Amino acid sequence: MASRRPASYSVDLGLIFLIGAVVVGLHLGRSSLRPYDAPELDPRPALLPLYLLYSLARLAVAYLLAVGLALVTGQLAARSPFARRLILPTLDVLQSVPILGFFPLAVGFFIGIFHGSALGVEMAAVFLIFTSMFWNLAFGVYESLITLPEELALAAGQFGLRGSLRWTRLILPAVVPSLLYNSLVSWANGWYFLIASEIIAVGPARYTLPGLGSYLAQAVTVGRNHETVLALGVLIATTVGMHLLLWGPLQIWAERFHFEESGDRPRTPRMARVLGRSRLVRWLTRTVVAPAGQEAIAAAGKLLGMWGASGWWGGAFALLLPASLLVAVFKLYGLFVSRPASPELAGIPVDLLLSLVRVALGVVVSAAVSIPLAWALARSTRVRGAAMAVIQILASIPATAFFPLIVILLRWGIGMNAAAVLLALTTMFWYVLFNVAGAAYAIPKQMDEAALGLGLRGRRYLRRVFVPAVLPSLITGCVTAWGAGWNAMILCEYLEAGRRVYQVRGIGATLDRATYVTGDMQVVAASLASMVLLIILVNRSVWDPVYRRVAERYKMEA
Amino acid sequence: MASPASVAAPAALLRLEGVEQFYGQKIRILGPIDLEMREAEFLSLVGPSGCGKSTLLRIVAGVLTPTVGTVRMGGRPLKDVNTRAAMVFQSFALFPWLKVVDNVAVGLESRGLPPRERLKKAQKYIDLVGLSGYERAYPRELSRGMKQLVGLARALAVEPELLCMDEPFSALDVLTARTMRELVLDLWASPVVMTKSILLVTHSIEEAVAMSDRVVVLKANPGRIADEVDLRGLPRPRRPDLPQVRETVDRMYALLA
Repeated sequence: MASRRPASYSVDLGLIFLIGAVVVGLHLGRSSLRPYDAPELDPRPALLPLYLLYSLARLAVAYLLAVGLALVTGQLAARSPFARRLILPTLDVLQSVPILGFFPLAVGFFIGIFHGSALGVEMAAVFLIFTSMFWNLAFGVYESLITLPEELALAAGQFGLRGSLRWTRLILPAVVPSLLYNSLVSWANGWYFLIASEIIAVGPARYTLPGLGSYLAQAVTVGRNHETVLALGVLIATTVGMHLLLWGPLQIWAERFHFEESGDRPRTPRMARVLGRSRLVRWLTRTVVAPAGQEAIAAAGKLLGMWGASGWWGGAFALLLPASLLVAVFKLYGLFVSRPASPELAGIPVDLLLSLVRVALGVVVSAAVSIPLAWALARSTRVRGAAMAVIQILASIPATAFFPLIVILLRWGIGMNAAAVLLALTTMFWYVLFNVAGAAYAIPKQMDEAALGLGLRGRRYLRRVFVPAVLPSLITGCVTAWGAGWNAMILCEYLEAGRRVYQVRGIGATLDRATYVTGDMQVVAASLASMVLLIILVNRSVWDPVYRRVAERYKMEA
Repeated sequence: MASPASVAAPAALLRLEGVEQFYGQKIRILGPIDLEMREAEFLSLVGPSGCGKSTLLRIVAGVLTPTVGTVRMGGRPLKDVNTRAAMVFQSFALFPWLKVVDNVAVGLESRGLPPRERLKKAQKYIDLVGLSGYERAYPRELSRGMKQLVGLARALAVEPELLCMDEPFSALDVLTARTMRELVLDLWASPVVMTKSILLVTHSIEEAVAMSDRVVVLKANPGRIADEVDLRGLPRPRRPDLPQVRETVDRMYALLA
């Protein structure tokens, strides 16, 4: 195709970005190539904006990487049956792995490559944040591509859309809604892991990257209340601000990429509907976000079109994922045959069981609270939009922000067991609530009317209509919460606050101790492997069959 | 059964030779099919659901490769998407994120036309189907009938030699469908439109009789040609209450029963 292309801002933007990246890289490189000597962070509040900027940059880089890779992987899995057979199971295993636990291994790897320089630590942090953002994006891309209306895909083929044009006209627009929805989840995850990823400890060695997360963590650990509150304020203001000024306008813009909704109610309540009434948000959408979005689609399409031109890359990439998994398993094996078994290994089964009870409790409580809450939300037609917006913003506050609160509760003596479950709930609960509320809103109006006509009210309505209607989504939410719960265990069973260690017996605590205190890689590997095995086992033997049965019986067919 | 030899013309635009489609390794869902289509012919495929008429159309459009057999377009075997054909879909298959004008121009864009010519040509066909004024609208803002007009303009805009239509009117209400049929026939007869050969898939015998030069009747399990009826002798316009038209429709119902 030798046609003249119209001038495009995306190329200029790309160039500016490249130049900027080189400048920043040179600047960082100068300070980074020395061996890294974990300094304490300067606690002056005036530096907070700078720290915030550092953290945002890490999140943004990780996010762009995650989106790019998700597009490539998701598209590949949707297009080629061969790639699908490799990619989907790998993603499935990797996403059920508690990422936090793998962090020490990744840090070791990157710091090794970069000979202990700050660049290695920086890469390790970005990598951790990336892994927290990637899986749901990739699944989202895959799912929206396989559910693409068949005739639309045919039409794209028949009218000759290939390469870049296929990306910009068909694939990218089709995945925008799911990408955006999942971006909210990914960023929430990213903020959550930021705290963990800016202070990196491997055994006795400790590396601190300047950032909001490390600032907050340091303030909590040392017990400086004033700074803790300040950092929390900045964190909350940033997440809320991003919702209002970035995600909101993006969602309004993305309305046009939705396939037509059948039925007389919007399928999901979108924060966009509420935000869309704001003049500022509408202006932002029109003048900044929409043009930028279009440019992004055009630029990404060009890049991805080039990538897609050689199928070889796709095949290589599809092989890379499971291959790296194999290498990891092999390394683990080597770790165990090379040394005598550590005595701590014997305690792992009991640790696992204790943590399992905590996670299960978290799932049950989340479900028990979500159902009546979603019912109340769905019934109140007047406040539902506003209420959902408030809830979404609340949910975007990373659970780690609740750390200090929990510490206060601990000082009052609620006990570490309750504190750990409570802290885990701050992440688990939202997954269940969002899924259930979404399904509750989607109950067809006609079904409500029919129920009313038949005299189903109150508890009978709840039992005969509401619960069956939200059941598939409830299960989906529970599965996600279950996964998040294990991650939370790593964070919650072992806390350092005000120069004191609070801990409770469990697999998370064992893993943390092995990582931060003893540096015993055998225990790290064994607790991780056993955790992953348990998670996968329960997913396969409990969640999968339950979900399949529920989805079959209670699917809403319009 | 009318003998193919009696209708054979020198220029065959499209020719299917022993085309078969399998589902998996063993189950044959279609064929073997041998079929020829002349230049400037309006050919309809009718048959019960499951007779593979849509599959056959997709094979002709080149979006589906037959398991066995050859499709020839103007004598040359078809290897990829049939760029000399364009397709109209039952569900319209418009890109919801593109404005009407961009939807119509999509095929021109992939053929590498520069933006200005793209716009000019898209505008011509938007005007021809009577959608002037709706260029900047999004598909979701249009009625079903208007959506199908966009689908028709999009197909005609690439000025294909062959227009493939897959049940194009069955998602429309009765009145809109009738108007659309008349529009298609008008455009077919109009000197402004380049496309003169039309392959229509429909389950409606009345529709096939009202529109086509020739009707090929398919039967199911596996889909094969059961019969074909030459309708060139039937004068146009064919109002459904004309005795000749009614008699033809009755005869074809008898064929299908």
